[in-house]
Amino acid sequence: MQVLLLNGSSKDDAFSQQLCDIFVNELEKHDNKVEVIELCDTKIESCLGCFGCWVKTPGICVINDAGRDLAKSVVQSDLVISVSLVTFGGYSYELKKALDRLIPIISPFFKKINGEVHHKPRYKRYPKAISIGTLTENKQELIDTFQYLVKRNAINMHSPVYLSRVFLNSEAVQGLRQEVFEVLKEAGAVK
Amino acid sequence: MNKRALLLIGSLKPASSTSEAVGNYLLDKLRQYDIKGEKIKLIQILKHEDGINELISAINNCDILILSSPLYLDSAPAIVTKAMELISNERKSREHIKRPRMIAICNSGFPEAHQNNTALSIYRHFANASSFEWAGGLALGGGGSIDSRPIDSLGGMVRNVVKSLDLTAAAIAGGEHIPEEAIN
Repeated sequence: MQVLLLNGSSKDDAFSQQLCDIFVNELEKHDNKVEVIELCDTKIESCLGCFGCWVKTPGICVINDAGRDLAKSVVQSDLVISVSLVTFGGYSYELKKALDRLIPIISPFFKKINGEVHHKPRYKRYPKAISIGTLTENKQELIDTFQYLVKRNAINMHSPVYLSRVFLNSEAVQGLRQEVFEVLKEAGAVK
Repeated sequence: MNKRALLLIGSLKPASSTSEAVGNYLLDKLRQYDIKGEKIKLIQILKHEDGINELISAINNCDILILSSPLYLDSAPAIVTKAMELISNERKSREHIKRPRMIAICNSGFPEAHQNNTALSIYRHFANASSFEWAGGLALGGGGSIDSRPIDSLGGMVRNVVKSLDLTAAAIAGGEHIPEEAIN
């Protein structure tokens, strides 16, 4: 499986870095090909909301930077894993600046999904998605918002499978390994 | 002394935007209640090295904070997330801070206004984490009908938006939360 891991945590967030390492180790142990993008080291401009990727250069962002390559990598992956501090119930800035640049991979045209208007897919296949959030305290309201956000993103980005987990940074490494294994198994990346 | 409202615009469009049009209308309405209005575009102020300090200073001087943003992937645009992270960290580091009331308005092109609700939940969590008094959020669908144009120029096409903003201005000026009638 081709796996893309987007690390949206900061350099000084040792827990998230450790979590990413566990994901990579488990994935590689099971013969997956893993690409890791450390978003805090990657210069990605903010989406301008200009819709150039829909009307001027369909499928390609008008900004020629790593954000353009990111959209390509996402579409070419079987599974995209994102890791971020749960930030007010959403994603960190580092992860959000990357996700906002994925608009080119969906179509400007609309279709109804579950009775709501959403953008049509541009491609025939989309990657599965695992969204990992980290928290220092167990705040259920933030976890609920984060998990609902992941669900809504999966609808808009046409993810065939989506999974979300929130880890508290007090969790022991052994427990983390088991939880990482379980979520990867559910996504079909390990057996 | 007159109260002060600060409008933060979360759109990345350099010229006019629907977020700004909606925010401008609300500021104009608040002026009718003798509330002074100031406007900051997050994308512009955060470009400057000292921008965050200017932003913090403006927030410290306001009584009512209004965040008006477009919806990007079911949530706040990255630039708004960045601003929220910076503002929250700064406010958490201080012992004594003013606690302005905060409202948020989120707009999208989808006809269903409720598609903005996840973003509004995020704005509410931000307010709670950053010592603002959350006074409610407005979700606007069908943003294409405004299309960055001044609300006053659009007539009956946006009558529901106008009604909602008028009710919001009256409530905010009176120290109340956004009423259900404005949200629905």
